[in-house]
Amino acid sequence: MLDRTRTLPALLLILPSLALSLWIIGYPIYDVVYTSLHEVNRFGRVRDFAGLANFAKLFADPIFFASLWRTVLWTVTVVGGAILLSVPIAVMLNEDFYGRGIARVIVMLPWAISLAMTAIVWRWSLNGQYGMINATLFQLGILDGPVEWLASFDTAFPIEIAIGILVSIPFTATVLLGGLSSIPADVYEAATIDGATGWQRFRWMTLPLMKPFLQIAIVLNVINVFNSFPIIWVLTQGEPANSTDILVTYLYKLAFRYGRLDTAAAMSLIMFAILLVFTAAYIVLARRSEEKGA
Amino acid sequence: MSRKLKRSILFWLVLGPFAVVALFPYAVMLSTALKPGDEIFVFPPTWLPSRLAFENFVEMWSATGFGTALLNSLLIATAGTVLSLLVAIPAAYALARLRWHGQGLYRQFLLVAQMLSPIVLVIGIFRLMAAMGLVDSQWALVLAYAAFNLAFATWMMSSYFRTIPKEIEEAAWIDGATRMQSLVRVFLPLALPALAVTGIFTFINCWNEFVLALTILRSNEKYPLTLQIFTLVGGAYKINWHHVMAATFAATVPVAVVFALLQRALVRGLSLGSVK
Amino acid sequence: MLNRRLAMLASGVALAALSALGSAQAQEKTEIRVIVAHYSDQTMGIFGGMEADFEAAHPDVDIKLEDVSWDNLQQRLTTDIAGGTPPDIAIIGTRWLLDYAANDIAEPLDDYMTPEFKAKFIEAFLEPSVIDGVTYGLPVAASARAMYYNKDLLKKAGIAEPPATWDELVAAATAVKEKGEGAYGFGMQGKEIETDIYWYYALWAHGGELVQDGKSGIASEAGVKAANLYKSLIDQGLTQPSPTGSNRQDMESLFKQGRAAMVLSGPWLRGQIKTEAPDLNYGLAAIPKGTVQATYGVTDTIMIFKDSENKEVAWQFLEEAAFSDKNRIAFSEKEGFLPVMKAEAAAPEFADDEELKAFTGMLPYAKFAPLIPNWEAASDTASAALQQIYQGQAEPEAALTEAAAKIDELIQQ
Repeated sequence: MLDRTRTLPALLLILPSLALSLWIIGYPIYDVVYTSLHEVNRFGRVRDFAGLANFAKLFADPIFFASLWRTVLWTVTVVGGAILLSVPIAVMLNEDFYGRGIARVIVMLPWAISLAMTAIVWRWSLNGQYGMINATLFQLGILDGPVEWLASFDTAFPIEIAIGILVSIPFTATVLLGGLSSIPADVYEAATIDGATGWQRFRWMTLPLMKPFLQIAIVLNVINVFNSFPIIWVLTQGEPANSTDILVTYLYKLAFRYGRLDTAAAMSLIMFAILLVFTAAYIVLARRSEEKGA
Repeated sequence: MSRKLKRSILFWLVLGPFAVVALFPYAVMLSTALKPGDEIFVFPPTWLPSRLAFENFVEMWSATGFGTALLNSLLIATAGTVLSLLVAIPAAYALARLRWHGQGLYRQFLLVAQMLSPIVLVIGIFRLMAAMGLVDSQWALVLAYAAFNLAFATWMMSSYFRTIPKEIEEAAWIDGATRMQSLVRVFLPLALPALAVTGIFTFINCWNEFVLALTILRSNEKYPLTLQIFTLVGGAYKINWHHVMAATFAATVPVAVVFALLQRALVRGLSLGSVK
Repeated sequence: MLNRRLAMLASGVALAALSALGSAQAQEKTEIRVIVAHYSDQTMGIFGGMEADFEAAHPDVDIKLEDVSWDNLQQRLTTDIAGGTPPDIAIIGTRWLLDYAANDIAEPLDDYMTPEFKAKFIEAFLEPSVIDGVTYGLPVAASARAMYYNKDLLKKAGIAEPPATWDELVAAATAVKEKGEGAYGFGMQGKEIETDIYWYYALWAHGGELVQDGKSGIASEAGVKAANLYKSLIDQGLTQPSPTGSNRQDMESLFKQGRAAMVLSGPWLRGQIKTEAPDLNYGLAAIPKGTVQATYGVTDTIMIFKDSENKEVAWQFLEEAAFSDKNRIAFSEKEGFLPVMKAEAAAPEFADDEELKAFTGMLPYAKFAPLIPNWEAASDTASAALQQIYQGQAEPEAALTEAAAKIDELIQQ
């Protein structure tokens, strides 16, 4: 009875969600597309149809390309780092050990502070003269003079990536932990009796069973990190000399500081397209591996 | 040494560095929040204040309108979460339980919706809210948060729903319950942990959101916490770091405590769906 | 003029009628939305005083103050205007005003202003808000910049008089570095808002201009000289290390803590020193000369929006409350700005203030931000070039020339 095709009731059930998203998200998309094709002034007044001129402007802008490249670097390193660290953390948190409850709470702690606030706290901690990072390093005798961590790309961007990883771990680890704890214990027991080592168990049992959860974690993280604004904005505003700008921070500057709403809209669409390509690729890959699995 | 003890030591050695980094911001907040105002900019900086300046919290509380902002945050995040769940539950049920034309399409629609971040659409959203007369209304945020969290909530819940055995519902029908009755009386209670987890995720997202709140709200007495605290930092001629840190600390600790209490449930909820 | 009087009379009658209906229609108050820039944690309190004054005199008006930080101000106004919900009144940076005037957003104020009211202002501060002979706003905050120097540090370094020229400043900074026990000679700003301004002081002092004949002047000979000067200060260790990590507040805290001998800043720093570092033995002097004397004069503008439905009432709020002598004095004194009205300047709070003369004395040499389109983008372009220079990633002349070409494109749009 459940397996019959029931399109009408299903449509009724999804109707509220469709309506809400088309209304709140759909209209703004239309607005962005429209804006990107017109010349629009700082205050949103539409002047002339501009064709693709706004896109052309972006493609002639070296800062755009630099930010694009940096966004890729940022997304790959933050998501990669978060996954690489979250897998062992989740595996550990899934085992029984003394203080596991506390460890689980600690792992989730970064989540409790909103991103903007985390960034504010780190900015203050990283202050070259008065920040607690340097205070600690002074006291440990590692530094003898102030170091301005956010003064150049070489230190600022890696720090921003590290903070990005830190704040992504709670979500990622929780998803993975959820996946792990859904693996029935008897599967492991059987394997242990068969004499599998810890690594073998992990490689051939845990990892495959976690795969769907890993996929979810990767896709959602990529989307979140790619669009992540507060860390870089609060810490460096893309400075010095645009060297830490990623697409969202540059987009924000274009739209709200420079008043180029039209170019910014074009940029939004390009960002959207990039994510679309990524997710499409993900869907194809996921489907292919599913078919292989079946 | 027992195996468990050995394992514990090893694990804590590995987790140690992460724990230090995760706890570091809390230590900084506490240290700065308890320093008297004139000890903030002292070189070389120190961790410990000369005395515990608890008055910072009192000053901060009135200077920032902390109580109101906290209430606003709670209100907006709760309403956004509830609306999001209300809309997502039937959709997730349809995805998990029914077979219909366009199911794949709808799934992809959700994924695409998930990709859009409010910051990319902020002007359009603002125009929409303005057209509806919702500028400076907390309802605008509730609507927007519900919409932007909808895809994730639907996605997550439908995967849980799928793991609730169909037989339980079918048994209820045989007992003479209608589809609706079985949904409300049998299915939803079973799905409760999933709803709770999804709700927490959504709540955190709403609680932390910043850009939309900044764009849509106008009156200070309607500001949520993130916005109120950011106002203390952004572009002022002078930043009272001890107040800022006191505010972030006070804003964070309740959430951290809730996490500590809920962490077991959170993880169990995440895995529950798959337990046979 | 007569029209305006009539309009005022009419609105006065209307208001009286409204207040007669008051009890029946308590909610039908005229609402005036005012966007207030967040200068300090005191700002809202001071504006709250203005609100109270005005609402006491006009019970039928509800003034709604909206506190917005400077970082978010442009975004807030842009979205407000784009969404068709502009406020009635807002504080903006005067450098943005051209865009507001050119796009027909700002209401010309000349018809509202009586000559008597206009005469209350110090002329130099009213001027930056005048575009093509039309007044688009009133100066709400004004500052000129001067040099703060730490008397103890200079004395320790054997310098008796504060440096009057950039050469003397270099010499003084060198002496401080040698004998100042770890203090920095010259505090340098290298990031965020006003990074470029901190360098324009030197540009202007060497005879440069920001805009010459409609083109950017930052890559002029004066500009290259100024950039080389700053770069050599950094390279010789006469500034704090890595200035691209220091924003305005960071640089100023160094001075407040007695760890930088000389910084360039505005009058607000005095107020902060008074409360945070009352023991600091400091003095104020003119910004050092290169070939000429110069400083940065800056005003923020309070403006009325053309789309406001209650422009008359909005104006009344400005005239009667925001620019009443009492409230002006409270604002300028508490926030540490220069008096913009003659009555303020004559008030004992300011007239008896010897230090203030360091700022007001510089006014004749003050350069105001040129009214050009895309000021913010041009300013960021200059800042980015400077950051490359300060970090040693680019040669001053090359970086400035490249930036100037970009700015030319921006300001000619």
